[in-house]
Parts: sequence; structure tokens; C-alpha cells
Amino acid sequence: MSDLEIYRSKAAAWLATMAPEFGRDARKGLTEADDLALGRRYQKAKFDAGYAGINWPTEYGGQGLTHLEKVTFDAEEMKYGFPNFYFGISLGMPVPVLMQFGSDREFVKERVLKALQGEEIWCQLFSEPSGGSDLAGLRTKAEPDGNGWKINGQKVWTSWAHYSDYGVIVVRTDPTVPKHKGLTYFWVDMKAPGVTVRPIRLAGGDSHVNEVFFDDVKISDDHRMSPVGGGFAVAITTLMIERYVATDSAGFGPHLDLFVDLAKDIALNGKLAIQDGRIRQQIARNYAMRSGLDSINVRARLMMQAGMVPGAEGSLNKLVAVRSRQKLSELAIDLQGTDGFAFDEHASQKEDWASSWINAPTGRIAGGSDETLLNTIAEKVLGLPQDHRPDKGIPFNQIPA
Amino acid sequence: MTILYDEGQQAIATESRRVLEARSSIEALLPLLESVGEYHRPFWDTAKEQGWTALALPETHGGLGLGLVELGLIAHQAGRSVSGAPFLTSGFGAAKAIELYGTEAQKERWLPRLASGESIGVIAFAAGPDALPSRPDVTLTGDLLDGVARGVSGGLAADVAVVLANGPGMPVLTLVDLADVERTPVAGFDNSRCLADLGFSSTPAEPLAVGHAARDAALHILGLQAVVTAHEQTGGAEVLMEIARDYALTRRAFGQPIGAFQSVKHRIAELYGLVELARANCIHAAARESAADFIIAAAAARLSATEAYDTAARDCVQIHGGIGVTWEIGLHLHMRRARSLAIEQGSSLFWEDVLVDRLAGEAA
Repeated sequence: MSDLEIYRSKAAAWLATMAPEFGRDARKGLTEADDLALGRRYQKAKFDAGYAGINWPTEYGGQGLTHLEKVTFDAEEMKYGFPNFYFGISLGMPVPVLMQFGSDREFVKERVLKALQGEEIWCQLFSEPSGGSDLAGLRTKAEPDGNGWKINGQKVWTSWAHYSDYGVIVVRTDPTVPKHKGLTYFWVDMKAPGVTVRPIRLAGGDSHVNEVFFDDVKISDDHRMSPVGGGFAVAITTLMIERYVATDSAGFGPHLDLFVDLAKDIALNGKLAIQDGRIRQQIARNYAMRSGLDSINVRARLMMQAGMVPGAEGSLNKLVAVRSRQKLSELAIDLQGTDGFAFDEHASQKEDWASSWINAPTGRIAGGSDETLLNTIAEKVLGLPQDHRPDKGIPFNQIPA
Repeated sequence: MTILYDEGQQAIATESRRVLEARSSIEALLPLLESVGEYHRPFWDTAKEQGWTALALPETHGGLGLGLVELGLIAHQAGRSVSGAPFLTSGFGAAKAIELYGTEAQKERWLPRLASGESIGVIAFAAGPDALPSRPDVTLTGDLLDGVARGVSGGLAADVAVVLANGPGMPVLTLVDLADVERTPVAGFDNSRCLADLGFSSTPAEPLAVGHAARDAALHILGLQAVVTAHEQTGGAEVLMEIARDYALTRRAFGQPIGAFQSVKHRIAELYGLVELARANCIHAAARESAADFIIAAAAARLSATEAYDTAARDCVQIHGGIGVTWEIGLHLHMRRARSLAIEQGSSLFWEDVLVDRLAGEAA
């Protein structure tokens, strides 16, 4: 057995012991507040057992292991439906960025340890009503104010801001230079005066994302994590970290087995749906797509294990998988006919077709829309030209609205 | 499981690409389309000279003892240059049938000759729309074959065939020396496939497997060939994606390269996705050659590769506009090959059924 397999089996054994207290069944019927409280206890248990910050430096409470152990653990952890998603963004991007760029190291260390133990949660304040796919088009501004700064403006789609203690934020500090050059990266205290968080209810019924308003929010200059005007580069660092989240060829929807089971149960025009050519074709196409992604992911892991850098094909995962999850979920509802109307807004997207379907559009937009991902593949991988950009090189405050 | 290619395998890919790029050209391939029953002889000569015919056959019978992974790499490169003669695939399939199900005498007689390329092998399983018929058109009585195997790829040039026949109430997989078999050339949309109807008339045949075992054996051989073909299809799709990309970079309209238009660049980026999924499935399937789930992996490779090649052919022509449909530019070589390879080794409809039967636990 390789070291990694030993690590996997130890992690799997530990996770299995956690399942009764924190797993899918334990969470059934909990309010979100109770589920979050359970999540905090689970995160603490992970920390105590040495499974928090697996690939983070030991001096900040991490385990000092590699990305491989991290994805190995994540893959095992995914099986149990633990309440860990409240911490996904916090520990995924903002806290690692703080660890890398925060100036007051004692403060940083304290925050990192609290975040790793589930005591504090961080959010990431990037998107704005006018700057989503065009991140550098953001308008929230920070102006010099005494020894520090004063922030005014609005962010949107901020996951878990309503539970967050801190956030990282990109703002415009100079509107007189081209848009990428006038941005600066800070952290903010989400409890500071002038910060207002307003949850946004999504189509699926849940409210994980928020609008966040900044009204004369004062911060000192030691909150700054990039050179003044150098915020875009740090933001890109954040987004690059984001690409390394665990992959799932089901597009974070139900496993294909569940569809096959459904098709074996339901009769369609007098015969079982599994015997219907249209249904069979969709099953086969989905299987081929998912097995391709799985093979790409396995190959990426093998490459990392061999000290190589995986190819760009890893970027296909979200693009290909979520689109196909959306269509398969539609078909699953079709198959059920009038029984397909039933909907429980708290049902798991990984186990319930209606929940998978109604939440699928989020997956095609968040973390880079399909269109943005296709542009990235076309431009960065295949070397095709950029789109025509009338705002290129023009000072931000002179770009035609 | 999925593998990383090792240094030797990477060398096979690089060297076969170098050789094929140097020796094949559109100009040599176009005339094949205008004659019936020809194949790309320089490719076959190259295959023999480079040892590709021996590559995946056992060393005890003149082979090089490598496998599906290595043969797949060469097929991928052949697909890039649209230059593959059908025998790289069907010759391998015929040889594997003899290796796995034949007698010692059959192996000694045929394998060294198939390995050297001196003899050419083909398979003939299909009956029209049915890739693996339960009652084939060709009938075995005693040890004599009668009937016609239609549209056999490579059939006009082959020396030996593995034929799925209808025995007394059950299928029989047979080995047939084609020396005295009547062949009728079939004019097709991809004449380089060297298609023929093989007419059997009291032709002596030797059984390799009978009944259920015959079907299982035929499916396994078809699966092996499907994986080789999937590599070829992926190579074709890959090169079409590159041709489309290069054209989108040079061709200008409305004052900019057409590759700057999202309708064009996204189309090419989508091709990238199809090619990489097909490649991943091919690598996985080739590495599962001896595994219990091989046929599932083969089906997935085959389905994604067929989709990739057909789509790439369609879209590459579309991106070229009018020039894309001219005879000279040769994109139609890929269009033709994409469709002929989609039919050979069982169409997508066939492999979808094979795959879903297994996923639903209803394997025949």
C-alpha cells in the first residue's frame, strides 16, 4: 500500500466514526442555526484529529502535508454529507490569502487558528452588481481617511456573509487609471459600523448568499493586503486557489446510479423507462462524460504525485459536469411526470432531482460562468484572441457606461 | 485504472507522429476516394516497417509483447493524419481472436504472418444495422460457410477473416482463409476503407468459439477494436480542433480574426472539451484491457470518441465557411473518416446499449 493509500484508509476510518454524530442523518430536520452549530463542532473535531488545514503550514495550525493528502481526505469526506460547507469558502480562499499577505503576523496567526477550529468564518467580497464576470469592473471604493481608509459601495453574491466575522475585499482606490490598476485588496471586520448584510433568497429557496453594503466603513492601513493599486494580482491569486477545490464529475448533483435506479422503477408508455432508447442514450452519454472527467481527475492526481503539473483539461470539470447535471435533472423530473412536481427546498442537491435541477443554474454561474470558462479555455489554452474590449487601457472613470 | 504514459510510450507517440507527418499528405489521400477498393498502401508499408503490426501481439508468435495502450497511441497519430489503413485495427482484432480463442496450430499458422504484416486480417461480425447479430447472415454448416458478409472494412485486401456465423441454432465464431472467397468491392463515401462484400460459398471455416462463448468472444474482440478506433477518432478530432484554431487565428472578418468572436471561439473551446474527455476515456480503456469492467470502459471511450470526431468534423468545416467544403482543402477526408469509423466496430447506438445493459445490471 502506498503512503497515500495508508493515509486514505486512516482518514476513511476516522470519518466513519464521525458519521453518526455529524453525518447526513444527524443533520436531518435541523434549523440552519443548529446545523451551523453542529458544523462548528465538526470543524473543531477535524482540527483536533489533525484533518484541518491538511496542506497548511504547521506554524499556523496546519498539518504541513501536500495537496494530495488534502484532496484524498476531501474525496472521502464528501461521502457523508457533513455540515462543512459553511467553512468551504472561509478556509478555501480568504484565510489562505490572509496567511500569505496579512501584515500583522500575530493577528494573522490568531485568526487562522480560530478559523481552522470553526470559531470564526471569513467571506470573500468580490462580486458587485456591475462587476461579476468582469471582476475588475467593480465600483466599491476606498478613499484615504486620516491614517486609514473609508469604504463605500456594495458587494453582492457574498456567500455566508451573514455568518462571517471577517471578509477579504477588493475595492477601487484610484478611478483615474485603467480598471485593473486602480484596485486594492483589504480585509474588513464584518461587525464594523457601517457594514450591512442583507441575505438574498435564491430560486431554490435558500439564502446562502448576501448583498453587503459599506457605508463610510473605516479601516486602518494595516488591513491592506496588497500594494495600493496592486489588488488585482492578489485577487487572481485567490481565484487560482479556488480552482483547486475538490472535483465531482456529477457536477455536485446526484450520482448517475440514482438515475439508473429511477429508470428501472418507472414505467413509461407501458414499458420500463430503462428500456426506452431516449433514456438509455442519456444514461450512456452521461456515463461517458463522467467517466472521462473521472479519468482526467485521476490523471491529475497521478501527475501531482509524480511531481508534475496537471494539464489544463482539469478546467473542464465544472463546465461539462454541471451542464449535464442540469439536463439529466430535467429528464429525471420528466420521467416522474406529475409525481415530479414534489419539491422540498431543504432536500439535498446530491440526492434529490428537483433540488438538483433548481439549484443547477448557480453552478453554471458561480466561480466563473460557462461563458467565462469557455473564454478562458479558448484564450489561455488554445491561444485564441481576446474579445474586443472597448475599456482596455482607458482610465476607469472615463469608460463609457 | 487510468495511467500516465511512461517514457517508452511517449516515445512511441512522438516517433509515430514524426513518421506519419513526414509520409502522409492530403494529395496522396484524395485519389483514394475516387477509386473503389484501394487503401493507403504507403501507410501499411510504414506500419509494417515500423513494427506497428507486431506491437500488441505476443512475443512467442513474432509480436513485440506490448498492448492496447501502445497500439492506441499509434492509432491516435494515424487518426491525426487520416492515414490509417483499416488493418491496423481489424488485423489486430483478428490476431487477438486467434491468440485468445485459437488452437496452437492456428496461432502458429497465422500470428507470425499477421505480426509481420505479410498477411492481412479482418473481422466480419455485423449484419447491416446489427453490429453483433444473434442470427448472423452467414451460415455455418458442418465446417463450411455460406452467405455474404456485407461491407467488411478492409475486406478486399484481407487474407484471413474472423467471421461471426449462424451455426446450428447458435452463433459460432469462425476463422476463414479468404484465398478462394469471392469479393465484391463496395463503393462508399470513404473509399479508402477498402470495403468489400465477402461471399462465402461452401468455404471451409474453423470454429473459434460456439454459442454464448462466441458472442462473448466477438464482443471482446469488438471492444478491443473499438478502443483502438476510439484513439484514431480522438486523434482526428484533435487535429481538426487545431486546424479550426489555426484558421480562426488567421482568417479575418469585420476587422479582426474570427477567433475573437465568441460564437467561433466557444465552438472551438467546446471541441477542446470533447477531445479531452475522449482522450481520458481512451487512456482509461486501454489500461483496462484485461480487467472485468473492460467492456464498460471501451463503450465509454467509443461513445465519447465518436461524438468528438463527428462534432469536430462538423464544426471545423462550419468555421471554415465556403473553403471548408472544397475538395482541395481536404476537410471532407475527416468528415468521411469520422462517419466510416463511427459505423465500424458498432455504432453509438450499439455501444449505448452495451453500456446501459451493464450499468443497469442486465448484461446479456
